[in-house]
Amino acid sequence: MIVLGIETSCDETAAAVVSFSEGAGGRILSNVVLSQLDEHRPYGGIVPEVAARAHLQHVDRLVAEAMETAGVKFTDLDAVAATGGPGLIGGVIVGVMTAKAIAVAANLPFMAVNHLEGHALSARLEAEQPPEFPYLLLLVSGGHCQLLTVEGVGRYRRLGTTIDDALGEAFDKVAKMLGLGYPGGPAVEAAAEGGDGARFALPRPMKGRPGCDFSFSGLKTAVRHAVEKLPEGSLEAQDIADLCAAFQDAAADTLADRTDHALDTFMDAHPGGQVLVVAGGVAANEAIRSRLGKLVEARNFRLVVPPQALCTDNAAMIAWAGIERLGAQGPGAADGLDFAPRPRWPLDPDAPAAAFAGVKA
Amino acid sequence: MHILAMDTATNGCSVALTDGARIAARRSAPMARGQAEALVPMIAAVMDEAGVDFGALDLLAVTVGPGAFTGLRIGLAAARGMALTTGLKCLGVTTTEAIARGVDGAGLDGRRLLVAIDTKRNDLYAQMFSPAGQVLGQPEAVRPEDLAAFTGNGPLMIAGDAATRAAEILRSAGTQADLAEAPGLPDAAMVAAVAEQRWQAMDSGERTKLAPPTPLYLRPPDAKPAKDGGGLRPSRPSTP
Repeated sequence: MIVLGIETSCDETAAAVVSFSEGAGGRILSNVVLSQLDEHRPYGGIVPEVAARAHLQHVDRLVAEAMETAGVKFTDLDAVAATGGPGLIGGVIVGVMTAKAIAVAANLPFMAVNHLEGHALSARLEAEQPPEFPYLLLLVSGGHCQLLTVEGVGRYRRLGTTIDDALGEAFDKVAKMLGLGYPGGPAVEAAAEGGDGARFALPRPMKGRPGCDFSFSGLKTAVRHAVEKLPEGSLEAQDIADLCAAFQDAAADTLADRTDHALDTFMDAHPGGQVLVVAGGVAANEAIRSRLGKLVEARNFRLVVPPQALCTDNAAMIAWAGIERLGAQGPGAADGLDFAPRPRWPLDPDAPAAAFAGVKA
Repeated sequence: MHILAMDTATNGCSVALTDGARIAARRSAPMARGQAEALVPMIAAVMDEAGVDFGALDLLAVTVGPGAFTGLRIGLAAARGMALTTGLKCLGVTTTEAIARGVDGAGLDGRRLLVAIDTKRNDLYAQMFSPAGQVLGQPEAVRPEDLAAFTGNGPLMIAGDAATRAAEILRSAGTQADLAEAPGLPDAAMVAAVAEQRWQAMDSGERTKLAPPTPLYLRPPDAKPAKDGGGLRPSRPSTP
């Protein structure tokens, strides 16, 4: 089985071809990603209209490149999968229309994949020891911060979510305040290396509270207040380093506390469960990985973090989610060509919407 | 030649398959939104009704704007995706040209034509055409107070979904302007007609080199660059 995947829900335009066979499992035949960093940098963050324009400008060329690298023709494909949401709707529409057009012209099934499902299943693609269901998932990116039980393909239970900002968003905002530029994750991590995390006392939002929800808006505001108390004028490099270290420590602490609670809930429902998967762009942060690593070691769990290229937004995970769905549900997994792109699309339809989190819930 | 043409750039969704002067199949519906859902099923229905498969097409055509940003991207993404899959060339046609094409030349009676399209803002997307249907200048986003200067002296005929508003603006500025009898929205059959004419005028070298159609936004994104990159403090002058 060979599936083309297309991802355009945020600020990466991506296309990939993934194959599956019983013997070899999932194989990434191509995985091309075009980041729009340069387009968004002047604005200090992602501008939806700028993103949508860039997606349209590049997506067909990237699909062509992915097909060529994989060495396949449209007639070799078994399906076309595109992110159908949640995300910035102008971009999602571009990817969905491209995929629908390919599907109708090449007479292929079209699949609208939930971007979060892509992240949720990505740990099972090209893994040495693919995690078996059920597992606990911490999805932590610029757009999302959630803890989910992955019970199987299409079966997700949300244990907690952010009630305001996603963690990657908080990283971006802190970087912006400190003049570190966009995107903020790698910049904050690099600046934190020479920093003393103990110099500034920052809060651990939600820590110790029942449940598994997150909140990062207050932490971001605390960084702002700490900056305001510093002497006037440009910030010293050491100030920036210390603030970044303190912010990163607080974020890691909060994630660990919330994940610890989620492990309890997960173990109650699935006493045999052994795996914590951490996916999303923030999973690339070493300080956070090492903090979560200590947590799972103490709990006798295995930590699975997909490779960097599968953690940040990519289309291989979208193609893979299409393959997993076809495997689990057969041809009925295909969507109609009248599919309506969705700005909001919770993985667990039974979970209540969080108050201020927008699509991040 | 078989041309598959589509439009989703303004307040409608329209698909047509033409074979020379004959319209083999056509679907269209007025809609302010929902083109992302409607377009591809309409294409499938048109292909099915005409009994033509994608391999038998000769050319694709799509409107590139001016119009709604999301709307014009829906058609362009679909048309470019189809061009990639089939290896067909795709021509971009402006919404104003498609509307002008639908106006009966005899009805113009020697007058120039203004095509005016709703921007959902205060201004209008506008383009002028000669009595023979030739474009006179580029389409532009024109403020109401500048419209009379844009069109020049009357008498004029006006078409497009903002025709009534444009006529009021022009009349109050003392320009003689009448509404043309034409559909207010771009019709995919007219998109095909404009594309066919342009295709026939191209030599084989131009056809081979034809790049995918690009959007005509006429307006930059609504976003302002952040002062100091959004930083709380002025950035340090970078050391060489």
